[in-house]
Amino acid sequence: MPTVNVERDRCKGCGLCISACPTHVLAMSDEINAKGYFYPYMEHPEECTGCRFCFLVCPDTAIEVENKGKKTEIPEALTEKPFHYCPGCTHGVIHRLVAEAIDGLGIREKTVGVAPVGCSVLAYDYFNVDMHEASHGRAMAVATGVKRGRPELIVFTYQGDGDLASIGMAETIHAANRGEKITVIFVNNAIYGMTGGQMAPTTMPGQVATTCPLGRDTSLAGFPIRIVEILRELTTPAYLTRVAVHTPKAINAARIAIKKAFKYQTEGTCFSLVEVLSTCPTGWGLQPTESGDWLEQNMVPYYPIGDVKTPEKGVLWPTAQGQQSETAR
Amino acid sequence: MAKKLMKGCEAIGEAAVKAGCRLFFGYPITPQNEIPEYMSARLPQVGGTFVQAESEVAASNMLYGAAGAGCRVMTSSSSPGISLMMEAVSYMAGSELPVVLVNIMRGGPGLGGILPSQSDYFQATKGGGHGDYRCLVLAPSTVQEAADLMGLAFDRADHYRNPVFVLGDGLIGQMMEPVEFKTEIRPEDLPAKPWATTGCKGRQPNIINSLYLAAEQLEEHNWHLQRKYAEIEKNEKRWETYNTEGGCDVLVVAYGTVARIARTAIDEMKGGPVKVGLFRPITLWPYPSEALWETAEKTGKVLTCELSCGQMVEDVRYAIMGRKPVTFYGRTGGVVMAPDEVIAQVNQLAGASV
Amino acid sequence: MHNEIILAGFGGQGVLLIGKLLAYAGMKAGREVTWMPAYGPEMRGGTCNCTVVLSDHQIGAPVTKNPHGLIALNLPSLDKFEDAVRPGGVVVVNTALINRLPQRTDLVVVPVACNEVAKEAGTAKAANMVALGAFLGASQIVDVDLVKGALEETFAARPKLVPINMVALSRGYEIGTALVPAPAAR
Repeated sequence: MPTVNVERDRCKGCGLCISACPTHVLAMSDEINAKGYFYPYMEHPEECTGCRFCFLVCPDTAIEVENKGKKTEIPEALTEKPFHYCPGCTHGVIHRLVAEAIDGLGIREKTVGVAPVGCSVLAYDYFNVDMHEASHGRAMAVATGVKRGRPELIVFTYQGDGDLASIGMAETIHAANRGEKITVIFVNNAIYGMTGGQMAPTTMPGQVATTCPLGRDTSLAGFPIRIVEILRELTTPAYLTRVAVHTPKAINAARIAIKKAFKYQTEGTCFSLVEVLSTCPTGWGLQPTESGDWLEQNMVPYYPIGDVKTPEKGVLWPTAQGQQSETAR
Repeated sequence: MAKKLMKGCEAIGEAAVKAGCRLFFGYPITPQNEIPEYMSARLPQVGGTFVQAESEVAASNMLYGAAGAGCRVMTSSSSPGISLMMEAVSYMAGSELPVVLVNIMRGGPGLGGILPSQSDYFQATKGGGHGDYRCLVLAPSTVQEAADLMGLAFDRADHYRNPVFVLGDGLIGQMMEPVEFKTEIRPEDLPAKPWATTGCKGRQPNIINSLYLAAEQLEEHNWHLQRKYAEIEKNEKRWETYNTEGGCDVLVVAYGTVARIARTAIDEMKGGPVKVGLFRPITLWPYPSEALWETAEKTGKVLTCELSCGQMVEDVRYAIMGRKPVTFYGRTGGVVMAPDEVIAQVNQLAGASV
Repeated sequence: MHNEIILAGFGGQGVLLIGKLLAYAGMKAGREVTWMPAYGPEMRGGTCNCTVVLSDHQIGAPVTKNPHGLIALNLPSLDKFEDAVRPGGVVVVNTALINRLPQRTDLVVVPVACNEVAKEAGTAKAANMVALGAFLGASQIVDVDLVKGALEETFAARPKLVPINMVALSRGYEIGTALVPAPAAR
């Protein structure tokens, strides 16, 4: 019988595993762990199918699934340090996917990550590779310096929406347009998380943030910026895609995209960017378990999931589905 | 190697190549465009890389990345562009990265003008970016010295893991003089940088970082930096004196281009009633205060000449500590003082003392 | 010996180039040299000038208020610098483009119709070489053969241009020596 092992003191009690479980195996215990969080346990172990959905959605690498002698593993490219992210924040999921891609391609010992300012400012504590801090918005410039100086390295940036789409927009456009041979992981959670929930360039129309307390007013702040669609207009970049991490299925698709984005770099293909729609339960004022639905209902229609450009096929949907509805507004 | 007639900007570029630098990131701005232009043609010839960045902000952060990856790397710019680079300079000082920045100064503040100036002295020597940090600042006064100091700049940057500024002005950059490159270093012969982000094969990951969220940790990091700066102060002060043997009536203190103009003035006054000497700091930080005082002690009065409204004069006064009268003469906005003006100032000072 | 020379004209006349040749030759002669262009907006369509200093000792200021010599290829250049030249200085005046001679009487004036002489030598574009030749002939501040060597090296990538410029330089030099046969007397 499959087993779900919860590393109790890593858990932040977000409950994502409980709602992701298709057979309702897990339930929240009424005890608290060392951090003061309730944590899940197997209430109905007999129902477990070993599907690993709980492992996939866990943002804190706190869950291990054992099935037929095989165990889920934490990638080597992650350190053992617990993430500082808020309960239910999907940064942790994305970190794991990036680390899995690095392990999967066997490039850990030649990878350099660039962590900028934002919630992921401490990413250098979590990735078990050489890491370089960047100032706010400049991650791609720093990555350019590393990669141009040492072309044999695999260089990635891990940036949020304020960093990449606001203060670092010039660096984004120009690194993409020069075709820097780097991999960019762009975490879009439609808000400034670290500074406490201010409006981001990707905040949705009407979405409340601490600097737009009545909701984003598009007559004052404009519409949210769609980065991959902007970059699509450039001839140079090779791989532009958008994924999400709010469901097990989406996470699996994201894993494939992120691995591709690294693989292209190992093959010498220029500039890959994966935009990852991510949740910010704290900034959004929602329960972690409600955040995935909010993302699905509000972000996905505006930020369509899928490849926008690939090295094999070029630009994929030059007149996108979302395009008309927006101009009509 | 035979002497070559070269523009200051080109000599700076070639000296960097001779110092084993194979990476240049920059953004065009007058009056230093000959440096990026030279590097864009020269670096590919030696297997190097030139990138014209989208801005000075980006260029300096590219330096940050490349220096972190352990590469000898440089940029050049002029005053307003250097202001934009200050973000990364602070980060590089904080994360202790060796990097060489050339500032061919022009007049400010604001957009200012494009003619020679020395009004970025404060910016270079007193900070410029945020935080408690120091950069070694070298001020050449000839094209040959600009070339020589580039080699020293890379060497000292690596030695101390610290940003180094080479502070010139439009005159040094645009002027042609004979120059000889005395040494040539191949990048592969440079000492290894085991702290750099080169991939963690066979070791624990390296992290290039200036973030210390715990106050005590950041304080300790700052004391560590200060100990390094004290070491630099102890070892790196450089200066030159001219016509000061046996003391003089008036000691002119000037650096870079102005030191040359003062030298002409001194030559023209030789044999006259007033004996004039020159003290020329080559390092602006650390400032050769003790050497200046030793020279000034045997002097009647001190005259500081700058192409600014009075910046280095503050360090001169700090070195002299009120023990001798210190006066200031400056031209600014791109106006270059003539030797006559220096002579007039000296005569006025000497006359007043009679 | 210490010589400060201003070479001036309008953009495109090649004053920076002849300044470089002069400095280059001075370097080959073992002297200290500097070449300093006036740069900036004035380069664009206006007057253009550079200062060359040749000296037997370390050069201080690379710019000068009172040069020992002047090459003026157009009228604004003569207007601007005539008063600055030190007494006894050689002043080459390009009479092809300047309709007056210096008013001062304490200068060694070398009037040369540089454009015409250059045209006879093969191309009016070499007027600057004629002026430089005339200045060398009249001042003898550096061996003309060193300047010729500098010219060959400078045009190494475009050897076709060498002979015609060489002829222009020589013609100017002859005119200079003829007009000022005994420069050593000064």
